[in-house]
Amino acid sequence: MEFIGKSAITLVAASDGHHGPSFIGLMIYVALIVLAIFLFLGQAKKGMGERVFKNPFTQRFEQLYLFIENLCVGIIGSHGRKYVPMILTFWLIIFFGNATALFFSTSPTADLSFNLGMALISIGYVQWEGMKANGAGGHFKHFAGPSLPIVLAIFVTPLIFLIEIISEVMKNLSLSLRLFGNIDGGHQAVEAMNALGADFYVPIGMFLMPIKVLTVIVQALIFCLLTCVYLSLVTHHEEDHSHDPELAAAP
Amino acid sequence: MSKEKAFWPKFLPKLVIGAGMMVGGMWISANTADLQATLLEALGLPLDLGKTLAAIGVFLIVSPAIDFFYLQPLKEAIDDRSENLEKTFTEAEQLRSEMAEMKSGYEKQLASTEAQAREQIQAQIKEAQDLRKTLMSEASAAADDLLAKANDEITAEKLKALTELRVHVATLSIQAAEKIVGENMDSDKNRKLVDDFITSVEAKN
Repeated sequence: MEFIGKSAITLVAASDGHHGPSFIGLMIYVALIVLAIFLFLGQAKKGMGERVFKNPFTQRFEQLYLFIENLCVGIIGSHGRKYVPMILTFWLIIFFGNATALFFSTSPTADLSFNLGMALISIGYVQWEGMKANGAGGHFKHFAGPSLPIVLAIFVTPLIFLIEIISEVMKNLSLSLRLFGNIDGGHQAVEAMNALGADFYVPIGMFLMPIKVLTVIVQALIFCLLTCVYLSLVTHHEEDHSHDPELAAAP
Repeated sequence: MSKEKAFWPKFLPKLVIGAGMMVGGMWISANTADLQATLLEALGLPLDLGKTLAAIGVFLIVSPAIDFFYLQPLKEAIDDRSENLEKTFTEAEQLRSEMAEMKSGYEKQLASTEAQAREQIQAQIKEAQDLRKTLMSEASAAADDLLAKANDEITAEKLKALTELRVHVATLSIQAAEKIVGENMDSDKNRKLVDDFITSVEAKN
């Protein structure tokens, strides 16, 4: 009983020195952003039957869809359209998660654990698509770098492979820490500035709100942009060479 | 309905895995907090891997739902709209070419009608001119007839008047002679004399 009680307390209350909400707190925030996403999308869906979209939610959703589609096609190439659902979901979850930080004392994206989850999905998806595009062997062969003479290959290729693997792992940290740093850093900055003005009852931190709004948008964009770049790196062999008329015509 | 049927077999495994990850994450978060604190906080990372696992679970559930229920209908709506626009443009192009064809047909028809009308007018004018000529010649003939008749009548009337005049002059001459001579002359005899006189005067004239 004592064990269950301790576990329950751990789920509800965050441990000492741990940033972000507790597990249950995070899930409540996540439920909130999922609810907000589905409310937005539900409103958007109502206007989809019209010949011309007049519903403002539908218009915003269409603009978002076209923006993400342009992002994918611009970075990945013509085959980038198939990644739109994944990138759009990232955008919605991260944007709404970031936007929560504007209204509440914390947000899912101010929690490194949540961000790491998003990064693991992103990088895992990239690896999966890389394997689908090049085959498992081809994909991992890509990590080994260029083909070298046998003497060099014995020493250099394992090193390159190791560095590439570390690089792939670091992408997870890079994606998650950047998001965490910006959103949680925003909170810390606002709190610190509020503390400065506490004696005069002036919430100085509110002057950071425009920057926070910008951060909300920019961080969602950066996460999606980087995922597109990673996808482009692992899938560009798939179509681009064969579809490039100049390369196809070259001897 | 069939779409939703197609959705569930794809979505259900992700839903189960996602829910499993959320429950697993909750278990990890509840039961390995101390271990994680020892391992991860030593690295300076404020991480709870239970939350990470649960976040992945949430994503696995939310992503296909967003795709199926909202993104695909939007794509279909956009595709339908594009298709409608393309169809409308094609129809407009077709109508424009039909209009151009009709216009050219009408212009040809108009030109042909104008030519026919011109021909008909020319024919009518020619017919009218012929008729005028015929009527004029008929009128001229009729006028000539009338003139001839009139001349005949004039001649006849002239003769008649001359005869009457002769009779009258003769009568007057006799009456004058009777008055001058003072005797009743034999009328028939005297009349013959006057007639002979008049005839001789006419012959002189």
